[in-house]
Amino acid sequence: MAKDMILLWGSGSPPCWRVMIALEEKNLQGYNQKLFSLEKLEHKSKELLDINPRGQLPTFKHGDNVLNESYAACFYLESQFKSQGTKLIPDGPAEQALMYQRMFEGLTFYEKLNVVIYYFFDWFVPEGERHESALKRNKEALVTELRLWEGYLQKLGSGSYLAGPSFTLADVVVFPTVGTVFRFGLSPERYPKLGEYYNLLKERPSVKASWPPHWLESPKGLDTLKDI
Amino acid sequence: MAKDMTLLWGSGSPPCWRIMIVLEEKNLQGYNQKLLSFEKGEHKSKEVMEINPRGQLPAFKCGDVPLNESCAACFHLECKYKSQGTKLIPDCEDEKAQILQRVFEVNALTEKSSIVLYYNWIVPEGERHDSAVKRNKEALTAELKLWEGYLQKASSGFIVGKDFSLADVIVYPTVAYLFQNGLSEQRYPKLAEYYKGLMNRPSIKASWPPTWKNAPKQETLKDI
Repeated sequence: MAKDMILLWGSGSPPCWRVMIALEEKNLQGYNQKLFSLEKLEHKSKELLDINPRGQLPTFKHGDNVLNESYAACFYLESQFKSQGTKLIPDGPAEQALMYQRMFEGLTFYEKLNVVIYYFFDWFVPEGERHESALKRNKEALVTELRLWEGYLQKLGSGSYLAGPSFTLADVVVFPTVGTVFRFGLSPERYPKLGEYYNLLKERPSVKASWPPHWLESPKGLDTLKDI
Repeated sequence: MAKDMTLLWGSGSPPCWRIMIVLEEKNLQGYNQKLLSFEKGEHKSKEVMEINPRGQLPAFKCGDVPLNESCAACFHLECKYKSQGTKLIPDCEDEKAQILQRVFEVNALTEKSSIVLYYNWIVPEGERHDSAVKRNKEALTAELKLWEGYLQKASSGFIVGKDFSLADVIVYPTVAYLFQNGLSEQRYPKLAEYYKGLMNRPSIKASWPPTWKNAPKQETLKDI
């Protein structure tokens, strides 16, 4: 069970956070875990490379099963532990289809966010290759993406989750990205539906239990996105 | 059933191809479909935007429900039509885990190959750097070596296990696309074996990109 699992993770990494939310939702607290520092590049250590040849986080193992892709781990946990904790894949075909659609759009959302918030990090774009024109374009693309999600939530109505009335895998995988946009200073006045969604989910036990520790230590966050 | 489904697609696009393979494997031939041209900008047409507000292909509808992300459509179709056609996700949890892992790793292969194939398309002239081109090529080479390694360990001609699975549905179109763009069969023999081995599978043959049938291969990746 949880004791046969190990998660290697980094604080504030949305992919890691996704797996942690899923573990909480499936009542699998007590899993073995190790926090790596992303800044100190500990994620290239031997311990990590032994389980994940890509040297990336999250790295998740259950018995002999290795799931290093966050979405793979989430689907696996829901399947393996279907009968315990929260039911994360709804039965209704329309709701299920919407869940899948939003989950995979969530990958695009995450990518468009990263090219803005990590633009000035050397590991993302080396200094000599940065251009104002690129950053401007990336920001515009992110705004378009945010407006799409704002529209999705508008259509579903207040208090709704991403695929409808119930919390699903779509929320597990997309909320960490939403949490990150607000951490980086997105204006809830300009994106009220996303703000509402953020406020709803941040109180959920699984989300609270897995909230990035360094965000708790310094609640203020950054302001990279405050003007978009 | 198939008559309630509509697929707007482009020839040679791996995401479109994945959905077509699943529809064939689940015996859902007879779905409504329309081939559109990327070159003519038809992916931005009103017809597409009505199903997919992102203006991208595939634009797929199952009844009233849009499923424009290829993996979303594949997962949903396998779930909904579990009891017909090929079983694409096995019940065995260990094998399922391997399949899920490979399915989601394809994202890395797609990203790394796209930035090499489309560098001049994605990056405006004033922003291009030789250092970036070099780095992107090295990253793609490393990624391809990983997949070559996965296939080294595979024994039955499939990417995971002994049967054709959802992992093959997602992986195969991307691998075929790389060879269509000139990837060296000598340098990547296991990938080439995989590519050739599944070419004649009925679902793959039936959905083979029409524009590839008489066209010569591109050479963009021949030096990778």
